Amino acid sequence: MSAFNPLVSGFWYLLWGACMTILMASVAIVPSTLFGMVLALAQVFGGRALQAVVIAYLFLMRGIPLLVLLTFTYYLLPLTGIDLPPFWGVVLVLALYYAAFMAEVFRAGILSLPLAQWDAARSLGMNRSLMLRIVILPQALSLAAPPFVSLCANLVKATSLVSIVGLWELTMASREIVERTLAPFQIFLGAAAIYFCICYSLALYGRHLERNVLHGH
Amino acid sequence: MPFNLNFLARLLPELLEGAKVTVELALLTMAICLVWGLLVALAQSSKGPLSWLAGGYVQLVRNTPLLIQMYLVYFGFSMAGFGLSGFASGLLALCAQNGGYVAEIYRGGLQSISQRQYEAGLALGMRGWTLYTSVILPQVVARVIPPLTNQGITIIKDTAQVAAIAVMDIMKVSQIWVERSANTYDVFLGAALIYLGLTSITSLAGRLAERRLAFTQ
Repeated sequence: MSAFNPLVSGFWYLLWGACMTILMASVAIVPSTLFGMVLALAQVFGGRALQAVVIAYLFLMRGIPLLVLLTFTYYLLPLTGIDLPPFWGVVLVLALYYAAFMAEVFRAGILSLPLAQWDAARSLGMNRSLMLRIVILPQALSLAAPPFVSLCANLVKATSLVSIVGLWELTMASREIVERTLAPFQIFLGAAAIYFCICYSLALYGRHLERNVLHGH
Repeated sequence: MPFNLNFLARLLPELLEGAKVTVELALLTMAICLVWGLLVALAQSSKGPLSWLAGGYVQLVRNTPLLIQMYLVYFGFSMAGFGLSGFASGLLALCAQNGGYVAEIYRGGLQSISQRQYEAGLALGMRGWTLYTSVILPQVVARVIPPLTNQGITIIKDTAQVAAIAVMDIMKVSQIWVERSANTYDVFLGAALIYLGLTSITSLAGRLAERRLAFTQ
């Protein structure tokens, strides 16, 4: 298979790029989950003003393409005088952007619990924080787990966009090899295969969680 | 200096030219995906090799990044001898990826209709066409419109990625203007506002369609 020689020789380089992709996605997922949770709780339990702020934030993040946010952060950050390394800059944008979608997932999880759960907790004399901690959140999180995992797969795919603002990861690595070998078809196919392995295993894990949720109720 | 009116007056016509390309791409993608997604969903619910093929297609396109798909079509196809323009490559990749998501939406909608609805229709003496058009589809439509609207918003945001294959959409125009003028705030404001406008119109249209078409339960 001589046509696939460029892919064979560039394979380790691509795999190294994939490590960077996974690193970037995992680092972004943590703050994004925490912030998404805060947004969801604020939207469900917050006062009018707080709810309005959250809704405005979700409107902005859901209405503007990630690529626009990434590109302009790339140009804006130096202007604002904040000295952030590019890696942390894109992680910040990814986290802020995906937090809006995480918030939707968690909110749906909280709201889909039967009202009887709230009544039962209240009738046992629990205050709000105790009720949240031991009754509502554990159940809401297990309901939210499958869509959360598929959101993580989306985030992995979205890291490909950071190559447009010049960061090195799997997509950038494959573009570099293409420039050297002029074999775009083979190399991008190889990159797609690696992305597929990462995202499909997440998808399978999500399906496994979903089955657990269905059997648990 | 930000919010320079003279600058905005020169920028806006070009951004609107870009917006035309974005809207054209988004509308074509939505129209094609509505049909293509339905065909894939029907193939998936059939039996035999066609269903395997459709299932594999959905998993493949959903678990690889759109950007890689665009590179694969734009650079890969030209190497293979049948080159497509940036616009055509972008459109093809957008339809391939979003068609997979739309197919899943249809499938979810069809599966959410309980078996009893079919039985009730049969018991009333309905058959085939009547059963589908007066019992099943009205309920499916009600359930798929909200996720389809979300997918429409995703499609608009996804079109920004065609900037990476040299299509002059909003994103590409604003990249050029930022590099030419260094007036980052204004360009960002203009591009973001146009995208927010387009996504808001889409979500309004979705809500309108829901009120008009959906059979309320």
